[in-house]
Amino acid sequence: MSSQEKYATISPAEFFKRNPELAGFSNPSRALYQTVRELVENALDATDVHGILPSLKTEIALVDEVRQIYRVSVEDNGIGIPPHVIPNAFARVLYSSKYVLRQSRGMYGLGVKAAVLYSQMYQERPLEVVSSPKGSKRLYMFKLKIDVVKNEPIILERRSVENPTGWHGTIVTIHLVGDWIRSKSKILEYIKRTYIITPYAEIVFKDPEGNVYYFERLTNKIPKPPKEVKPHPYGVDIEQIKYMIHQTDGKPMKLKEFLIKEFQHVGEATAEEILNKSGLRAGLEISKLTDADIARLVEALKKLEKLKPPSPEALSVIGEDLIELGLRKSFNPEFVAAVTRKPKAYQGHPFIVEVGIAYGGAITPQPEPVVLRYANKIPLIYDEGSDVMYKVVVKEIDWKRYGIEGDQYPLVVMIHLCSTKVPYKSAGKESVSDVEEIEREIKNAVQEVARKLERYISEKKKEMEAKMKLITYLKYIPEVSQSLATFIANKRDMQSDVYKELKAALTNLVLKRLNLNDVEKLQLDAYKVEEL
Amino acid sequence: MTEFVSKIDKEKRKQAAELLRSHYIKLIEQVKREEPPVLEIPKRTLTNTIYDKERKLLLLGPEKLRRNFLDLNEAKKFMQTVLMASIIYEALVNDEYPTIRDLYYRGKHTLILREPSGKSYEENTWDEQDESDDVIVDIEVYTKLLREEMLILSKEKGKVVGDMRIRSGNDVIDLSKMGHGAYAIEPTPDFIEFLDYNAEFVLVIEKDAVFQQLHRIGFWKQYKAILITSSGQPDRATRRFVRRLNEELKLPVYILTDADPYGWYIYSVFRIGSIQLSHESERLATPDAKFLGVSMTDIFGDRSKKPYLTEQERKNFIIKAKDVDIKRALELKSYEWFKTKAWEKEVSMFLEKKSKLEIEAMASKGLKFLAFNYIPEKIKNNDYIA
Repeated sequence: MSSQEKYATISPAEFFKRNPELAGFSNPSRALYQTVRELVENALDATDVHGILPSLKTEIALVDEVRQIYRVSVEDNGIGIPPHVIPNAFARVLYSSKYVLRQSRGMYGLGVKAAVLYSQMYQERPLEVVSSPKGSKRLYMFKLKIDVVKNEPIILERRSVENPTGWHGTIVTIHLVGDWIRSKSKILEYIKRTYIITPYAEIVFKDPEGNVYYFERLTNKIPKPPKEVKPHPYGVDIEQIKYMIHQTDGKPMKLKEFLIKEFQHVGEATAEEILNKSGLRAGLEISKLTDADIARLVEALKKLEKLKPPSPEALSVIGEDLIELGLRKSFNPEFVAAVTRKPKAYQGHPFIVEVGIAYGGAITPQPEPVVLRYANKIPLIYDEGSDVMYKVVVKEIDWKRYGIEGDQYPLVVMIHLCSTKVPYKSAGKESVSDVEEIEREIKNAVQEVARKLERYISEKKKEMEAKMKLITYLKYIPEVSQSLATFIANKRDMQSDVYKELKAALTNLVLKRLNLNDVEKLQLDAYKVEEL
Repeated sequence: MTEFVSKIDKEKRKQAAELLRSHYIKLIEQVKREEPPVLEIPKRTLTNTIYDKERKLLLLGPEKLRRNFLDLNEAKKFMQTVLMASIIYEALVNDEYPTIRDLYYRGKHTLILREPSGKSYEENTWDEQDESDDVIVDIEVYTKLLREEMLILSKEKGKVVGDMRIRSGNDVIDLSKMGHGAYAIEPTPDFIEFLDYNAEFVLVIEKDAVFQQLHRIGFWKQYKAILITSSGQPDRATRRFVRRLNEELKLPVYILTDADPYGWYIYSVFRIGSIQLSHESERLATPDAKFLGVSMTDIFGDRSKKPYLTEQERKNFIIKAKDVDIKRALELKSYEWFKTKAWEKEVSMFLEKKSKLEIEAMASKGLKFLAFNYIPEKIKNNDYIA
């Protein structure tokens, strides 16, 4: 081992600059995609979570053809960002408003900053932010960069102007070296899939080729926003408890009070049980807790028995009707069904699985069902093969059992996993790990909608069979009538009375046999028989 | 046009049209009574084929199938059957002589059903002639009218010569004055009237060429024979003609075929009828017909009989039996009407020797041998299988 080896700490910003692939910025095409994603997700989080119907304007433009520098700009009509928060929110890694326990699209407080870091690695234009918080009379404009060594924002310019129209929201513009050609299909797919799960949003997207895509708002119904909740005892680790203690801002607090105040489902009795199991005193000042104490506390929390499962209030589902709406509008299928399952939990984290299915109609049959994966309303596009949702739909479900015939599937299966903690495989947030409880729940949910599909297909098959019977008879009746009438008229004559009489009588016989209702009988006249 | 048509055609045509009509009027009445129209047709299956030992005939059994238009599985067949019946009826009333091929074309068209949505479903009344031929047979069985009686013509295959006068249509034909040719047996042999004859037996020959040889060498004159060829597998007209000679003129019928299972089956069709057409056996089969040869004992001889062929000739003329021949022989063995002592001996000898022989081989030994030696001797000695 070399004695020359140097040890140094690096800032989180430095760390992500050195390892951009961890956040999904591994090459120019992926970086462009990831930047769009981070900005769109922040824009949506600023709107629907706060009860605002989202209107998004997204634009990608090529500003330097030689260096392949693109400008990505996303405008939302959200709650805006207070001006004093803006520099940290965009230019300090791991600073986030999202360090609370409620479902949101972003989670690591990392995404947009990773985009900014990537942006300034290969070109010189700063990040531009324009924002006006709801109710503010002014518009605030910033030009920012990140001081990578210190993990601090560098404010290059800040201005504010009057906001006479009362507009609120945020416009973020990032320049970066990208690759539109290679990322085009993924970005379009990302926006389409975002729209499917957000049918209450209106989205305009302008691409570098000058195409403008407009996705109209399909409904004014917004899913119930998530509430902030306290952590569940099963769901915390040592670092989180340290963070929770830190958040009390040094106010004196005894351990027992801390447990009762800061955790879900913890009251007098449970708090006593925790203290017993951990061997810690109730009156211990939390600021005095050692790492070893906290470790024992975490152990004790996990050993609690008969605890209610974590509260699902922090979760925000899309709902069966919105899922069906999105699928119907986007795929024009002949059948859709959706299910939102009851909340479940894994390792102290609540989660809900929603599944939608679209079948037939305009869906082009494929060798495998199309799987639309979503986690906390974010579409997951890359790394499909390693995702548990894909695994369940394609590898574990035998679709033939649900009445799908042939080896091509005119089938789209949408899966939405909501959780305060989605178990992603990496910070790129593109695939969900095989957590046993989640996998089982996804399978149950898919099977539940698949049974609805099965009922539909079998009903349709029955209807088709009945219809084919009718069609068979209707096809033959004129021929049979004409042939029999020949024995009376001595020639084939469709004008003869006997022909008409036989045809009517045979039709009546068939109607009686098939037990048609009156509506179906009325439709009969519209069927025409021709001969060639 | 009808002034040149023979009287008998006109009469028969009228009869057939009436009979056909009466059967289908029944269906019309059913429909008018709001009953599902049903065709009751004797089943044409092997299981419903009965060998009548007494009369030595293959007959249709009592089982019937009910072809109901409202039965989805039968609807198409029903449509095809009435369509075909109506075409035949039209041809009858319009003085036409269709062939089964004509009937196939006349009935073949596409039925199109257009849905209110504009989507259309197409289906042909029938695609292959097999389908239309099949319903023709159904109509024969249903009405008990043979196709010939409905003036449906087919290719003439059988030929006849001999000292005999017949009336065909409006003409008298002298079957002894056919020159080197022969009279082609018309598809409607029931319309023929036998006038007078001077003959003692009927000889039916499978092979046309051998028939010609026997004709030109004067065989029928010398032995007072009516000479007939079926040119292979006999058609219905030839079978009916032979049956009438046997039944009405009481002439014994001898049949000469190749010595192989195929030849035996030709004999069997003359004598008993075919499985596919068992409904017509009653009128086409000749239960008295005798298998004159060529038999296995003619070739190999047995304890009581000297073979007609020498060792050297056998060596030259015998053809080794193929697997299909063996298979066919085993099949024939299982038929009820081959379960006689004589036939069992014939078939087992064939299976043992695995040899077959064509009639031409006998002619190769010498036409005179065949005409003046082999045939008359076998008839004289009653050396045949009945």
